Formats: sequence, C-alpha cells, structure tokens
Amino acid sequence: MKKVAIIGVGHTKFGVLENQDLMDLLCDASLEAINDSNTNDENFDSVYVGSMCPETFNHISGVANALVDRIGLLPAAADHIKNGPASGGSAIKAGFQAIASGINSMVLVVGGEKMTHITTPGLVTSAIATITHPKAERSHGASLPSLAGLLTRVYLEKYDAKLDWLSDISIKNHKNGASNPLAHFQRTIESFMESAIKKGKGSWNNIYEFLNDDKTNPIIADPLRLFHICSISDGAAALVLCNAELAKKYCENPVLITGIGQATDTQIVYERDDLTVLNALRESSNQAYKMAKKTPEDIDVAELHDAFEILEAVESEDIGFFKKGEGVRAAHEGLTEIGGKIPINPSGGLKARGHPLGATGVAQVVELFWQIRGEAGKRQVSDVNTGITCNFGGFGNNILSIIVEGM
Amino acid sequence: MNSGEKLIAKKCKKCGFIQHKDHIRCLKCKNDTFDMIEAQGGCKLITYTILNVPPLEFRDKPSYALGVVQFENGIKALGQIESQKNLKVGMKLAPVYKKICNNLDGKEINDFVFKSIE
Repeated sequence: MKKVAIIGVGHTKFGVLENQDLMDLLCDASLEAINDSNTNDENFDSVYVGSMCPETFNHISGVANALVDRIGLLPAAADHIKNGPASGGSAIKAGFQAIASGINSMVLVVGGEKMTHITTPGLVTSAIATITHPKAERSHGASLPSLAGLLTRVYLEKYDAKLDWLSDISIKNHKNGASNPLAHFQRTIESFMESAIKKGKGSWNNIYEFLNDDKTNPIIADPLRLFHICSISDGAAALVLCNAELAKKYCENPVLITGIGQATDTQIVYERDDLTVLNALRESSNQAYKMAKKTPEDIDVAELHDAFEILEAVESEDIGFFKKGEGVRAAHEGLTEIGGKIPINPSGGLKARGHPLGATGVAQVVELFWQIRGEAGKRQVSDVNTGITCNFGGFGNNILSIIVEGM
Repeated sequence: MNSGEKLIAKKCKKCGFIQHKDHIRCLKCKNDTFDMIEAQGGCKLITYTILNVPPLEFRDKPSYALGVVQFENGIKALGQIESQKNLKVGMKLAPVYKKICNNLDGKEINDFVFKSIE
C-alpha cells in the first residue's frame, strides 16, 4: 500500500454566504487547496466531491463533472460521493484508496453544501430525515434532532449526567470557534448573552441561566435546546492528496493520512442493543488505529462530529478517550478543552464552525492539518503530531474515522 | 412494523432476535427464516422526546412527543405519544392505530401511536 500525503488544503468561510452558490464554494475551496499545494500546473488523476443534497437544496446534479470543467482539471476522473453528513469523509476515503492502491498519484478531494438560502420551514429537516428508516422512523415524524433527543434522555438517565454538563460542550466549542476566523459563529456564549441583555431580551446572572431560559434558548427536541444543536451553514473545504513519495516536491511539511476506517450500524436506531453505544464508531476507529499502528493514548487532538452536543460526548467514549458513560462528565471537568487531557474540536466543531453537511468531514481533516503544522493561530493545541476525526453519517449508521500525522 | 392494524415484527428462527419486518436476513446471524410475531401485552416507554421543530410533512402540529417502546414479548417500536404531559421513562402505554399525517404527496399516513394507561 502506498503512503498518502496531504500537501495542500482549502477552506472557505462557513456561514450564511448569500453571494456564493454551491459551485462557487466548491471552486473556491478547490483552487485554494491547489494553490496551497503548489500543484497549479499538475494534472490530477481524480477528483472526489462530497455533497449530501445538491439535487434537493440547489437543483443541480453532476457536481463533480461541473467542478473539473470549471476549474480546468479535464480530463481528470470525477465522482460525486454521497454518504449523508459523512459525504466529506467518504470522499477522503475514495481519494485515499485511489492513491494507496497505486492507481492514482494526484487527487483532489472537496466537500461542500449550500443550505442557508432555503426558507421553507421544515424542508432542510425533512430532506435530512430521508436518511432515517422510512417506515419505522420517518413516517412517525422522527427527524435527526428527535433521534438525538431520544439518545440524550437515555444517556442522562443511565449515567446520571446533567444537561448543564452537555451545555459545557457547547460553551467550549463556541469558545474555540471564537478563535477560528473561518467559523460560522466566532462568538462565545457569553457574547450571545451580552447581546441579548443589550437588546432587552432579559437579564441573567450567568450563562447557565441564559442557556436554561426558554425564550433565549428554546427546547428543540426535549431535552435538547437550540444551543445543544449545530446550525445549518454554507461552505466548502478541500484537500490535495498525493503519493507520499512525491509530497516533498510540492510541500515542505506534508501531513500523512495513516489510518482510515469506516463501519455501519442498524438503520433503525432502536434496534441497537444500547442506544448510547456507537458501534459504527468503535469499529471504524479500531480499523483506523490498527492501520496507523496507534492507540487512543497516541492522539493529541480530535475533531468529532457534534451535530448534537450529546454526540461529541458519546463519540469521545466510543473512539477510546473515555469509558462509557464518562464523556459528558469529562467535558464538564474541562478534559476536552484546548490544554486539557485530549482537546476536542479546537475548530469550534459543528456547533460553532458550522455544518455545511458535505464539507464537514473534509473541514475536520483541514483543521488537523493546520494543528499538526502549528498553523492554527489562537486555537493552536500544543505539541500536536497525531489527530483523529469522527465523521458521522445517517444517525450513527455510517461512520468514518481518519488518523493524520506529521511526516 | 405494521401490517393492517397489527403491530408485527420478525423473530429469527435460528437466534430468536426480534427485528423490523423489512429485514430480509437476520441482523445478528444472517439467517433468512423468521416467525411473524404480534406485539402482546402492554408496552413500556424506554425513552422519549418532544419535538418542537417538526419536518415539513408534520407541520400541521407545532410539536409532538415521540417515544421508543418495548412490549412484553420483546418487540420494540418508535411512535408518537398522544399526550406530551406527565411522560416518564418506564411508564405503561398502549398502541392505538390512527392517522399520523398526510405525506408530501397528500397521502394519508396511518400508524400506531401510543397512549398512557397509567
């Protein structure tokens, strides 16, 4: 198997990007990655584009064909990779396999989504809910937030954890996002509270009071409130991958993808033996650790998929950082802060960086690339050599784990 | 899980695992022979949520409760709960077959919802 290097990255601003359509975002991230990797005059063998719903959200298909045409990469092979909110991770896996197998030596991977222009109430939720089971879940009105609510209640009761401790994950991710100039929300929760006070919406003695107020932080899927759930966003992120033997020709500090794993779990969430266990993550991360010859103790930083803050906690357990039932408490105790035992989501995670569905899995690896190269600015974690991601597809029924490390 | 007005599931003839009737092979052992079993007795609420931001096709209601229940013979199901008040994990419920919504094609969807019998 050939070694696979990342030699350049691109990452648009995430947020409400009114003046750019999906193709603009994919092109911007791609060209930034190509420029960053000094491969402007090179031919690419393949291009993999991760995007979940361009047909529904943007009324376009064939996004990979359109991309290679617009950015002058013809006649590169082009594929549109779809794996729900893990489309970005699956696109990276496709690029990794193309190079590791020796079939390709230069590949562009890009993930992106354009969502915030959709104004029909419930349409985004409904489109994403099409990945749930049509008879056992969706036809009863289940959506991803409701499945997260069901999981949260089981977890909090089973492990005697507090909802305020889940809020600590949101507080931490907003604090990290405040130091990420590309994040959708570059604001702490304190900043949201101060704005609300100035606007006369109320007064609160501390952020927990603010976060427990139905007016400022409404319950979306009980017990989950607005600030326990990521927003929808627009954005794209990209990687240039190449055979590691060629990497130093283009790049002084390449980063290697040394482990990658993917696994599935039941589509019907209630058919799992334990709702609080993500077997797909246990399996996929074990595959990644085995390939990279690493253990959870070797990981310096992680980018996990906190579409709902309960997920960051459960993932921190099933990826091997904490025992089952201790993830929420660990976050409450500060172990996942920058400077803590295992920093999680220094980028701000999905909660603060935003979640343009297909972009997220790629953006996670871009963040690790910057962390490993010491280029993460104010959110830099010290002494990073190895990082891992969790990109969560379906409601945990298709999960990718990717390990990257310095070369 | 529903055939007409019966709440049914597949029980694997080899390993006994109970699963949704859509499964063609057993989730646990890959066997493809099943007994069709019907939900029996009351059911208990395993977990619940109240969803205040419904998907598009459920917007005729501002919110509804959803729960996962388990029957005495092991069948599990997800469904709406008639009342949002006094919900408690472990409470006893009974299934009622009724209209849930009109889907995006305008077709009436009927299925089981659950009501408290405590």
